[in-house]
Amino acid sequence: MSAHDHSAAPRAMIELIGVWKRFDDFVALRDINLSVAPQEVVVVIGPSGSGKSTLIRCINRLEKHDAGRIFVGGTELSDDLRNIQEIRRETGMVFQQFNLFPHLSVLDNVTLGPRQARKMPKRDANQLGMQLLEQVRIPEQAQKYPGQLSGGQQQRVAIARALAMRPKVMLFDEPTSALDPEMINEVLDAMKDLAREGMTMIVVTHEMGFAREVADRVVFMADGEIVETGTPEHFFTKPSENRTKAFLSQIL
Amino acid sequence: MSAPTLPHLSSAQWLRKNLFRGPLDAVITILAGAVVGYVVFRMLRFVFVSGRWEIVERNLTLFMVGQYDRTQLWRPALAVVISAALAGLVAGVIRRRQAAAGRLPDPHLGGVRKLTNLSGRLWPALVGLLLLLGLTTSPGPWLVAGAALLAAAAGSALGRRAPRGFAWALAPGILLCLFGLVAFLAQPLEWDRWGGMMLNLLLAGTSIVLCFPLGVLLALGRRSQLPAIRAVCTGYIELFRGAPLIALLLMANVALGFFVPQELAPGKVVRAIVVFTLFTAAYIAEIVRGGLQSVPDGQLEAGKAIGLSPVRITAMIELPQALRNVIPAMVGQFISLFKDTTLAGAAMGFLDLLAGAEAATSQPAFRGQGLIAETLVFVALLFWVGSYTMSRESQRLELRLGVGQR
Amino acid sequence: MTPEGDGAGKDPARTVSFATPPASRPPLWRDVRVLKWVFQLGVVGAVAMLLGVLVNNVRANSARLGIPTGFDYLDQPAQLTIPGNDMRASQPVREAILQGTLNTLRVVIAGIVLATVIGILIGIARLSGNWLLRNSARVYVEIIRNVPLLLIVIFSYLAFVITGLPTIDVAWEPLGIMVISNRGAVVPWHDGSNTQVTAILLAALIVAVAVGRLRVAWTDRRGGLPHAGFWGTLTFIAAALILGRAGGVGLSVPVSNGRPSGGIVLAPEYFALLVALVVYTASHIAEIVRGSIQAVPKGQNEAAQALALTPMQRMWKVVLPQAMRIAVPPIGNQYLNLLKNSSLGFAISYFELTKVTSVSIGNARPAVPSYLLLIAIYLVFSVALEFMVNLTNRRLALVQR
Repeated sequence: MSAHDHSAAPRAMIELIGVWKRFDDFVALRDINLSVAPQEVVVVIGPSGSGKSTLIRCINRLEKHDAGRIFVGGTELSDDLRNIQEIRRETGMVFQQFNLFPHLSVLDNVTLGPRQARKMPKRDANQLGMQLLEQVRIPEQAQKYPGQLSGGQQQRVAIARALAMRPKVMLFDEPTSALDPEMINEVLDAMKDLAREGMTMIVVTHEMGFAREVADRVVFMADGEIVETGTPEHFFTKPSENRTKAFLSQIL
Repeated sequence: MSAPTLPHLSSAQWLRKNLFRGPLDAVITILAGAVVGYVVFRMLRFVFVSGRWEIVERNLTLFMVGQYDRTQLWRPALAVVISAALAGLVAGVIRRRQAAAGRLPDPHLGGVRKLTNLSGRLWPALVGLLLLLGLTTSPGPWLVAGAALLAAAAGSALGRRAPRGFAWALAPGILLCLFGLVAFLAQPLEWDRWGGMMLNLLLAGTSIVLCFPLGVLLALGRRSQLPAIRAVCTGYIELFRGAPLIALLLMANVALGFFVPQELAPGKVVRAIVVFTLFTAAYIAEIVRGGLQSVPDGQLEAGKAIGLSPVRITAMIELPQALRNVIPAMVGQFISLFKDTTLAGAAMGFLDLLAGAEAATSQPAFRGQGLIAETLVFVALLFWVGSYTMSRESQRLELRLGVGQR
Repeated sequence: MTPEGDGAGKDPARTVSFATPPASRPPLWRDVRVLKWVFQLGVVGAVAMLLGVLVNNVRANSARLGIPTGFDYLDQPAQLTIPGNDMRASQPVREAILQGTLNTLRVVIAGIVLATVIGILIGIARLSGNWLLRNSARVYVEIIRNVPLLLIVIFSYLAFVITGLPTIDVAWEPLGIMVISNRGAVVPWHDGSNTQVTAILLAALIVAVAVGRLRVAWTDRRGGLPHAGFWGTLTFIAAALILGRAGGVGLSVPVSNGRPSGGIVLAPEYFALLVALVVYTASHIAEIVRGSIQAVPKGQNEAAQALALTPMQRMWKVVLPQAMRIAVPPIGNQYLNLLKNSSLGFAISYFELTKVTSVSIGNARPAVPSYLLLIAIYLVFSVALEFMVNLTNRRLALVQR
């Protein structure tokens, strides 16, 4: 029972053990077990309503799991306020709808987290913010407001905002689903850069090309369960489960 | 609202398009014309022929400052000038910030054009001011108005040159100044004996400042996930929204003394302010709640995801967006409050602007002459100028903010 | 469960089940669940304490002044007379409050009906293509909305009814069916008993609804438009007239001749308050109606045009039903405001609830229970009105789906 003592947890960056989540009568997550090693990129795919988003929203407590245990970077996600804040500071999240703060400029969006949650001085935060905006290739938009940017630009700002907390883990919740087709690649490129630099990532997406190219491991979910996990090669060429085959035949 | 008239439309075409498009339209025009013509005729006759305006002329001071010591009138005059300077200062600082953000509508406007623009915006206030000055029989008010204009201009110039960090000190500084002014005005005459428009402004201003934080807290409480907090706030809001203001004022006047220890029983003005504050806070809470509902859930989640504490998420993400969305509704509520201050006169026996209008008709010189219409119309005009100017400015602000968000 | 490809290299699935023991408890001051409880208990405790202090103060102050805190005073004689009412001074306070409530309801119900009709007309006028109509409606709304209601009430009473209207011997008789003077207004009314008239109107209503239903059923089979509202209204009027004639109840139209007779007399205070409330509320309803019609997307009108509907049909069948749904909640709010604003009758000595209560307190009835009762009555009416508005709202919303 190595999973029960904390000394075992740090081996994995993220560890989910027997996690359940219910919304009233609907079971969104059913006994989920998943562990993600440092620097690993895990892509979660599956039909809509399969619990993919709920899975990563439980990891930083946007949803509270009902049973099971979740460790992030060795810290257990419990009712302890300090643990919750610590885990949120160490995980970055990118949303489908960007969720940039419309009343703040792009740079202020990026620096809000470091300045408020990490108490970083303004000058350092601005420097960090500009550096991150350069990393996602939009430093020239720093003084504009989110409403003035295209969807792809907004999502790249959202990535920079998440990175500003210097997270150990990045969670992506369908980051390209709300984008016009011509803007998808600029966001995927930013994510690929991140993966190449060794960020631990969990990505919920429908972009199979991205999964094939970047993922270390693909997790297929259906009906709140993990149906199958494997390398992209294994997954896309010789899936073992029938539900996986059915899903792949619909989308490929 | 009116349809834009194209410049090349001749007057005959304009008439055809706007008044006589068909037989039904023509009938409507003639009927409406008859009614409007009659009303306008009666009004003009009242204003220029039958109305006896000396009752207003003789009582201007009463309407403005009530029973304030006539030898101390320099105090309210000074207060007006200082308030004008403060208003100018705020306008100047806002202008500077807009210029810094590159959001000035037209930065290269000449002085004359700027002046005509401003008077186009504020014409109701200008009309009211000129009317007041026209009715005065002494030079004092002219001097005050001139000094106030100069002070406003000076304040605006100062505001535009103020150092950058100054904006943060502005709101508390102005509040402090205003409370200082009230104390200064209350020196010769305790405020329970104030009257006229000065009292209406005192009641409205103080209650606005006090009800805002309470309203915001109540709104947050009503949206809380904690059931007990929600129940307390909802109960408060529904209680105060279901009761008539005048009943609350009457109760405060007669019965508030029962609810506090004998030695702590407050004076009448404080009672009125307490009621206005508690009452308006309930309405402000509902407005702010609407604003909070308009902020998408994703904003809150994004705040959580970057590790902000719940208090910071509320203060830095939800409230700024929510309040911006509800500025016009809030100004509307403040206008209501300004108008409702007249109820304090009826319920608590103050000689406020409206009560003064009634009282003037029973003065020995005017008793039994049926001059109530004259005084009421004059007082109505003053209220209308204030309310209409505020509502127009808030609509303008709404448009500007909407543009700023793009 | 499938074997993992690579990665963490261990499979916790089999080692840990759903019955995992809970994580170690954090210290109390950081436990989210504990914090929530503590915060709630703190706030509720503070509120309870505040209320306790208030109640205690009332008790202490009342005892000191020898004033009762109970509601026994309701059974004591009221010692007040209500104008236009045959209540005697020896009747209990409870009776006076009941009469005050009825007076409040009289002005509120008439006010709601009139303000709605006039408000909708003005709201539509504000969107008229006719320049004169549109702008006069606008000027009306912009003036009335920016003037205190109390001022309108006092103006309506002192400047309009008392000094503005002609004396009774030269009374104003618009359309020959009303007599309006500085002693109030006399308007047409029935000359039967109230129960009789209620029964007749109910019967007429049933007949009218039946006719409307029949029209719908008929046109469903034969085609054509039912115009159920038109035929229903027509039937209602006809049925009411016929039934009234049969039951010996007619319409009594006042005649002036110096001493008006017939009809029903509206006291000057009532008339002035009603006029003021209607004028004020109508301006607010007009703005709501205008806003709601403008809030219906342009595409709706265009789609209706594409279906070759006439302008009337587009308005009545497409735009108005949608505008109604937007307008019902705020108009309901205006009804609530009208209810509360009727308390301004206090200022012109119209004996509604607030005036009766404050006169009764002037007669040495205890103030705190009286005002609590007053506010409670308003709350009950507010809740009842709100309930009706919500019911309407839900019905409209369901129809929309």
